[in-house]
Amino acid sequence: MKLVFYSGGHEIENKNIDRLMLRLPHKSNLRMTYIPASSFDDDDFPNFIEHYQKMGVSDFLYFPVDIPFTKSKLALALKSDIIHLSGGNTFTFLFHLRESGMLEKLKGFVKRGGVLTGLSAGAIIMTESIRTAGYPRFDCDINYDNMRNLKAMKLVDFEIFPHYKNSKRYQKAFELFTKDSSKILYALPDGSGIICEGDKTTFVGKIFCFYRGKRHIIND
Amino acid sequence: MTKLRQKVLQSQNFSYKSFNKIDGTHPFQEAAPGSYVLYQVRKRHGGRVAFFNFNLAKEMGLIDQNHPEELNDDLEAHIIDTFSIQIVNEYDLINNVIVPKKELKPNLYMATRYLQLQHPNKMGKTSGDGRSVWNGNTRHKGVTWDVSSCGTGATCLSPATHLNKKFYQTGDPKISYGCGFSEIDEGISTLFFSEVFNHNNIGTERVLAIIEYQKGLAINVRAHKNLMRPSHFFAPLKQSDQTKLKQVLDYYIDRQVINGVWPAFNGTSLKDIKKRYNFFLDKMTEVFAGISALFEDEYIFCWLDWDGDNILMDGGIIDYGSVRQFGLFHHEYRYDDVQRFSTNILEQKNKAKYILTAFIQAVDFALTGRKKSLEHFKNHPQLQKFEEHFRLCKDYNLVKKIGFNKTNQDYLVKEKRHLIHQFRQDFVYFERAKSKKGLHNVPDGINWSAIYCMRDILRELPQYLLVGKLELSVDDFIDNIKSSYATKKDLMSSPYRDKKVQSFQKNYWQLVKAVADKTNQPLKKILLEITMRSSVINKYDRVTGNSIIHIAQKVMKAKPKLSPLEVFSLVQSFVDRQNLDPEKKSKNNSRQFVRKFLMGGIFKLVREMREGL
Repeated sequence: MKLVFYSGGHEIENKNIDRLMLRLPHKSNLRMTYIPASSFDDDDFPNFIEHYQKMGVSDFLYFPVDIPFTKSKLALALKSDIIHLSGGNTFTFLFHLRESGMLEKLKGFVKRGGVLTGLSAGAIIMTESIRTAGYPRFDCDINYDNMRNLKAMKLVDFEIFPHYKNSKRYQKAFELFTKDSSKILYALPDGSGIICEGDKTTFVGKIFCFYRGKRHIIND
Repeated sequence: MTKLRQKVLQSQNFSYKSFNKIDGTHPFQEAAPGSYVLYQVRKRHGGRVAFFNFNLAKEMGLIDQNHPEELNDDLEAHIIDTFSIQIVNEYDLINNVIVPKKELKPNLYMATRYLQLQHPNKMGKTSGDGRSVWNGNTRHKGVTWDVSSCGTGATCLSPATHLNKKFYQTGDPKISYGCGFSEIDEGISTLFFSEVFNHNNIGTERVLAIIEYQKGLAINVRAHKNLMRPSHFFAPLKQSDQTKLKQVLDYYIDRQVINGVWPAFNGTSLKDIKKRYNFFLDKMTEVFAGISALFEDEYIFCWLDWDGDNILMDGGIIDYGSVRQFGLFHHEYRYDDVQRFSTNILEQKNKAKYILTAFIQAVDFALTGRKKSLEHFKNHPQLQKFEEHFRLCKDYNLVKKIGFNKTNQDYLVKEKRHLIHQFRQDFVYFERAKSKKGLHNVPDGINWSAIYCMRDILRELPQYLLVGKLELSVDDFIDNIKSSYATKKDLMSSPYRDKKVQSFQKNYWQLVKAVADKTNQPLKKILLEITMRSSVINKYDRVTGNSIIHIAQKVMKAKPKLSPLEVFSLVQSFVDRQNLDPEKKSKNNSRQFVRKFLMGGIFKLVREMREGL
């Protein structure tokens, strides 16, 4: 299993994770597929190409799941070396992934050894549930479609909170959030990330780990 | 807005004195006497600003560049004072309607005369701005802007006045269009449509402000660098009034030069009337050939006709009542205007050519004083130039749509035009394919549905090629290009269609290869760039005329709760998502409520109607 969790931020802040991520397929001439959270709301594909082209990737596929796609394009996407789930509204993104039947297909992709990366909303969707997308109230996504089923891909057994800001307010919120939970929550400031390759987990940058209402710092 | 915020804004002390220049006076009044009717104007009470275009106001120099996008009391007062007006019309004068002196504006405002084919008098003697007046103009950074307002009262130039041979009281409930008022939903539709077009480099009038009154009425204030229409020229031409025609011609040319639009027009030739007018003709040829090609290729339905009424002189779109942008090439669509059907999108070119012929006739008449028949000019060299320029623009438009950058577009058009023409044959085959269902009624006219979505194939094909799928099978190709209008029968295989599928891809490759050879770059690099550009140019969710109508309705429903700033933010965010220009970066920084509004319905409307009219 090869998974990369990005928080967000500027390209330069993520260069270390990017470098490690691009080594995961163990090959050259990589093909990357970009899945936007919503094709209506996302014009980032050209920026995505521009960024990874500089890092040596030459093949790219834009694969929105909220609009109809052909079987042949799906096949091409699933043959990619890396599939990237973009940032955006986590609820909407999960809704479209589920509606299009892509959640299962992406799990299959990961099982076959493909690299799945997710940024912000995309990263949350790779965990068991997207409940962190609706928390805390002062920094959360809007659940436009009133989704109740927040179950996501369950590729890992920890939770993610992207764009974490190291402040008392956030700290209190997540101490409270994890107080009665048996799950570890990694709060990722922009520029940080987590790479999972098989049993090995690599933390890139300073990460805040919340467990049973207590905060721990990784890579301090 | 909180009280605290309001205080902060007011204390910043911005100057709004530029609004004072928009006072009814306009250089056209001096340049072309007799080409307008002047009205006294009174203040109209009970209005509130429903929308103000901060970006446009900054471009026009009406507010400071660093003015926040907030409507403070002072700014609102200036907008109301400048634009909330109503003319004192012939009905008022005949019926001795008393207007207190303090209610009257000091200057007279003009309703311009122009030709309109729906008027009984086909000479332009009685037609023109029927419910609009020109507020004036303003100059900023070397550019003069015209400002006019729709809904300011019934003028004597409205069709109703002449059909019924009486002057109407403004707001007379017995007539609709002729009553001189306009409605807020017209303004909102125009606002959304024109801002999307403007953002995507399609010339258009723009909405500067909307002032809302009770019962859904509004004054819609519009601005453009030159609000003259061909019909302003055709009225004196029809009336064989050489003096007036020359006045209008000279006024227009001078404005274009002053505004820097025609920089090639140097001081020497300005004095030589023949050169001056011929230069004007050259420009009209370029403009009308260019917009004919653009409208066809962008699927813009703009009802052009011999009166030259629905278009600005620079090809900008004005009066959005019947303007559409189709999702597919619905080239059989005709708008039903009760007495007659409109032209269809393919007939627009000939109408544009007719307008050019009328300009040739006008220039000849202005120079010789003898008006010859239009037939006399049927072989005029400018018409040949029109055809050439039209074809040139069509070729540019096609390679641009594919996703080639400007340098490569130039190369292909200049050096490999035959390849473009080969590809066009295949492109047009699919673009013009129609459903076997045939001609049918649609809510406002008739249509014969197109069945293929060219944007989809142009967006998808380079990606397939990029990842090494060198040729799509017929089924794959059709899967990618078919629209929801296509029935099973429409999609049935035929040897000719299948051959066209192959030929489309082969000729597409030829263009890509030609650029790769010329630039000495790998095919993949060219395809990658095309993929990036095409994903923006050929966006899946492009707005259509129908979706704009529904969006306007949705905004109207939410309107009582929306502040002018919220409407402005909504338009900005919507326009940002409708960006089809790969050179422009999306801002994607909407406020929370705007995102909710967009995600909560507007984008669904755009998506559902993306293939429609």
